[in-house]
Amino acid sequence: MAAESPSSVRKVVVHLRATGDAPILKQAKFKILGADKFAKVIDFLRRQLHQDTLFLYVNSAFSPSPDELVIDLYNILTSYFHTSKGMLLLVL
Amino acid sequence: MEAQKYVWDGAIPLQIHLHESQVTTLPPPPPALILAPRIGYLPLLASLLKPYFSSTLPPGVDTIWFDYNGLPLKWYIPTGVLFDLLCAEPERPWNLTVHFRGYPGTVLIPCEGEDSVKWSYINSLKEAAYIMNGNCKNVMNMSQSDQLELWHSVMNGNLETYQRVSSKLKLATVEDEHTSLCSSKSQQGFGETDLAGQVKTGRVPVRLYVWSVSEDFDDLEDMPKVDSWEKISYINRPVEIHKEDKCFTLHDALKILVPEFFSNDLMNVKSAGVDFEDALRIPSEDVSSDKVVEDHVQNAYEHREACSISSSAEIKLIRIQGIEPKLEIPFSWVVNNLMNPDYFLHICVCVKVPQQNST
Repeated sequence: MAAESPSSVRKVVVHLRATGDAPILKQAKFKILGADKFAKVIDFLRRQLHQDTLFLYVNSAFSPSPDELVIDLYNILTSYFHTSKGMLLLVL
Repeated sequence: MEAQKYVWDGAIPLQIHLHESQVTTLPPPPPALILAPRIGYLPLLASLLKPYFSSTLPPGVDTIWFDYNGLPLKWYIPTGVLFDLLCAEPERPWNLTVHFRGYPGTVLIPCEGEDSVKWSYINSLKEAAYIMNGNCKNVMNMSQSDQLELWHSVMNGNLETYQRVSSKLKLATVEDEHTSLCSSKSQQGFGETDLAGQVKTGRVPVRLYVWSVSEDFDDLEDMPKVDSWEKISYINRPVEIHKEDKCFTLHDALKILVPEFFSNDLMNVKSAGVDFEDALRIPSEDVSSDKVVEDHVQNAYEHREACSISSSAEIKLIRIQGIEPKLEIPFSWVVNNLMNPDYFLHICVCVKVPQQNST
């Protein structure tokens, strides 16, 4: 988690956890630019998993709209726990 | 809470035209006139529109979507927010085009009718709960029947049912400040006492839609139309209400959300009692003004304290639930009265930015 770098190039680590019928991922985590939209995460995983329909839950809690910025989501999550572990994404 | 009732009763008069490519009869059907609830969502109008236009549609499978001047409308944004955002000069009735074929899957996420809209609403509610409480257990643990009742209350605009069911979620509302603080300047007990047993929070979920316009215009009527969603920044940032001696106003909230637009007193804000000290603080770092706009979205969060970016961007319009609120009104009032049923306060902002010389 590059917390010190300028926010425009700041990257967020996304940890993946597959549940249910979702196929196990080769890669358990990846980095994405904070300025990217959540849609990019969805697209990336769709291609990785060769699956059109995916349900993604941030911190096992809610499924954001594809338009939300990754950095906004990250800030929502960390505002309570003050962790720098990145974002946990539940793949269903 | 009278204002909340107005919000729930609020509706946009729509004049809906069937897209010409889907008209198979002569003469073409007249447009449909519908009052669409502000807090509602466009795909929910399908049950009214489908029977109205069905006799003229070509054979095929229906997937309903709407456009305004060619811009496909995002269905998960509440109808009132779309209107406030895309119609700077309110157009009544609002002329929309409905399509039942040719879903623009590259621009819009798929919508499979009411179920998709309900799913989107519940997730928005969960996100709001997460922002306020740090988890969304209360929403997740809702009984199936409560969840359905809550959804139906939103769909049918039934405020009483909504209040009864949503109160079970124990999602805190912020304490109204204007009675205790803004008038009497009393500092006693603010943020300490519980109102009717409610758990209080200082964190308010906000969805901000910032439309950046580079063209010059004097009148709202002359404003260009939004032709691409790329011109609108979608910012989701909680506002933390600071407990201070003075009243926390809408102006204070916006300064936290988009500090770059408040570096100078550009808005000619008639804001008696509002402290401009933060905004006028001397720039501590050298940021060249031409790259500022590009960096805004990313920088805003970090720079919330600094307020130091010099910028020639100018806020032209701030609209919440069809209202252009005065910036000196208490933010607590805005939240408690003007939030949507997903517990988010949706704020539309139009900003005039300098012409960009690159990209």
